[in-house]
Amino acid sequence: MSAADNIATILSSGARLTVPLAFAACGEYVAQRAGTLNISVEAMMLGAAFGSIAVASATGSATIGLVAGALVGVAVAFVHGILSHRVQINTFVVGLVLNALVLGLTSYLITVSTFTGHQVWQVNVPGLRDIPIIGPMLFVQRWPVYLLLAVIPLTWWLVERSRWGLELRAVGENPQAADVSGIEVNRRRRQALLWCGLLAGLGGAYLAVGEVGSFNQNMTAGRGYLVIAAVIFGAWRLGRTLIGCVVFGLADAMRLALPALGVTMNSQLLIAAPYLLALLAMLVFATTHREPRALAQPFQRGTT
Amino acid sequence: MDVDDKLTPALTLRGVSKRYGPVVACDAVDLAVRPGEIHGLLGENGAGKSTLMKILLGLVHRDAGTITRGTEPVEIDSPQVAVELGLGMVHQHFSLIEPLTVWENVILGDTGRIDRAAACAQVEEVSRRYGLPIDPHVRVDRLSAGERQRVELIKCLRRDPSVLILDEPTSVLTQAESAELFTVLRRVVQAERRAVILISHKLAEIMAATDRVTVLRRGAVAFHGATKDTTAQELARQMVGREVSLQAESAALGLLPVERPAPVAGADGTEVAPSAAGPTQEKPAVLRLREVTLLVGGLPMLDRLSLDVAPGEIVGLYGVEGNGQATVGELLSGLLVPDSGTVEIDGRPVDLVRPGALHHAGLGIVPEDRHHSGVVLDMSVAENLVMKSLAGVTTRGVLSRRRMHRIAQRQMTEFNIVAPSPDTPLRSLSGGNQQRVVLARELSAGPKALVAAQPTHGLDVGAIEDMYVRLRQAAAEGVAVLLISTELEEVMALANRIAVISSGRIVGVLPTAEATAERLGMLVGGVSH
Repeated sequence: MSAADNIATILSSGARLTVPLAFAACGEYVAQRAGTLNISVEAMMLGAAFGSIAVASATGSATIGLVAGALVGVAVAFVHGILSHRVQINTFVVGLVLNALVLGLTSYLITVSTFTGHQVWQVNVPGLRDIPIIGPMLFVQRWPVYLLLAVIPLTWWLVERSRWGLELRAVGENPQAADVSGIEVNRRRRQALLWCGLLAGLGGAYLAVGEVGSFNQNMTAGRGYLVIAAVIFGAWRLGRTLIGCVVFGLADAMRLALPALGVTMNSQLLIAAPYLLALLAMLVFATTHREPRALAQPFQRGTT
Repeated sequence: MDVDDKLTPALTLRGVSKRYGPVVACDAVDLAVRPGEIHGLLGENGAGKSTLMKILLGLVHRDAGTITRGTEPVEIDSPQVAVELGLGMVHQHFSLIEPLTVWENVILGDTGRIDRAAACAQVEEVSRRYGLPIDPHVRVDRLSAGERQRVELIKCLRRDPSVLILDEPTSVLTQAESAELFTVLRRVVQAERRAVILISHKLAEIMAATDRVTVLRRGAVAFHGATKDTTAQELARQMVGREVSLQAESAALGLLPVERPAPVAGADGTEVAPSAAGPTQEKPAVLRLREVTLLVGGLPMLDRLSLDVAPGEIVGLYGVEGNGQATVGELLSGLLVPDSGTVEIDGRPVDLVRPGALHHAGLGIVPEDRHHSGVVLDMSVAENLVMKSLAGVTTRGVLSRRRMHRIAQRQMTEFNIVAPSPDTPLRSLSGGNQQRVVLARELSAGPKALVAAQPTHGLDVGAIEDMYVRLRQAAAEGVAVLLISTELEEVMALANRIAVISSGRIVGVLPTAEATAERLGMLVGGVSH
């Protein structure tokens, strides 16, 4: 293979590995802007990955599986929202419990059931796919990738231009002020979580029925945490958050490509690479940005 | 202006009560506010004003009583309902979202699609109608306190409220800005027949700006009547529940003119250079800030600020909120580290990065926000009292509760701290007693210098008086006292010298004897001489 081919391969696989992160990051970004430091994004992704394969296997349609996966993400978000923005349980505790619960549950269910493999169809644009280096990355992808390209501007528009988004930002910055302005703080936060669940669900489902075609135990392997890191790395701006996702995705692609390129490294170390990168990124950026002021602060009327 | 008593009130409260456990915050309060009047609601802190307003805004649910809007009884169970009923409130601590622009803040809580152009046009229209100039595209965190209040007012007025409530609106304003505000309010009631409720603990303000006044004392209505038929003295008596005679009290209540105390022994009032509190004192300064610059978010909160405090004197650091006094307070609490410049105590620079360095160097601090950085509310009185001198009550890492109790008992007696026992959680004490705990702890450590930041904020008159006496006493005993305050009366009543801070710089230092409200007002406004 030529060097150009190698680069094209890495870019193309980097793009594929970025997609689940980017979906989930669009969701996590919204949740955090509304003030929820949502760590159950891992549970949303993992649950969705399992759900998508299970439903795809039962219906024979990978697309129905993808939709089902998104709904699993929404379900996790719904539970999280009720527990932390209605019953007011500490959001980290809720997130940790949900992550452990979904990991345990899917690990058990995969041992007692057998699923057939399914994958959503691939877009393959003749002509354009032959553009050197970037052709395969842009024009040979499974269809949810192109859905992502619509989700990103939609998310930006929702947060920055819609009234819902304005209210979300207000709620994430100063819930007391939002409350006296007549905004239902916890309701907005639950809605933001549902959006997060939908997109994290799509991301997780893409991992299963898009990328791999099957489910294996702990399939997301901490990708949800990388997504949280990307939002922080991106200083709560969508563009920078997505750049973070691309960096993590490329790091992952490098990990997969290096052995094929003849570079031998300890494979465990390679697996750790994206997370190491996330840690370094946070170290560099942790001091420079301004987070939503009420991030991770619960709201209850009457407490000041 | 005369108000017809037969007019249907815009808002009527009858027998409204609210208890928090054993504490009665509001006790069968009656209040009627008519269209076209400014109704003053006067009371000490803790008299129930805030609770009453929270009930009106749907933030707190009342236990008993009725609320009538016009002729209709209403239930206000959420802020959304309050807005729909035409009740608008300008909050004491602004309820604006700082990273959002003016117009975004103004339309918060509306429904429907966002129309940026229409929103901005509306902001400009309201701003023109009331004479509240503001640029709708500016982000709120770039605005001064006075401008933020304009935004709050515009936000309220745009929703066309029939009752406008202002909670301590002048606490962050200069005198000129306050006057401007009252002009706008006059227009709101006279031309548009709205009702205004003005909550305040400043008598002068109530006397000057209101048509009727209701005085709350310990949750109950103590007085009600037309402002022109009463006097400030009378209101003061109703508010406190006894004759007000002490100078400190009058000053605290905003009754002018202010008496100037004789200089405390050990201090002198010699002329001082206007640009820095220069070392013209005979005794060398104990507390010295030298060219301190402190940036917050890239903006200078303190700009090469220099200030000296000699032993035995009280220096008042005066200015309008948001000009850097709070930053000085936080700096001297050890919460902030300056970007350049030094803080010296007794001639030695203090390494501000080390936790507790200022305390060990001999600086006592009564912080502005005691709940934030002064005390631990859920710990006991005794624990709070010994918190900074744990070495004295521990043996090889084991806490001696007996010694702790003994020390606490002694300080409670000495400082008149009223609490059932040293083991009472601090949370259940009144604000005044909590503040006494802070003061007792700081003074018991035998500080060389004491910083008191807004020491009487939120205190009742008795506690204010007590605080004044203690601060004077500390100065008389040779402690260098820095009083950081936004209350002109307080600074005039206590300080030997007044340093005026504006935009993070000391713009002038005057001996109190030479300070007049006009001179200080000009300095505060940034007019240097």
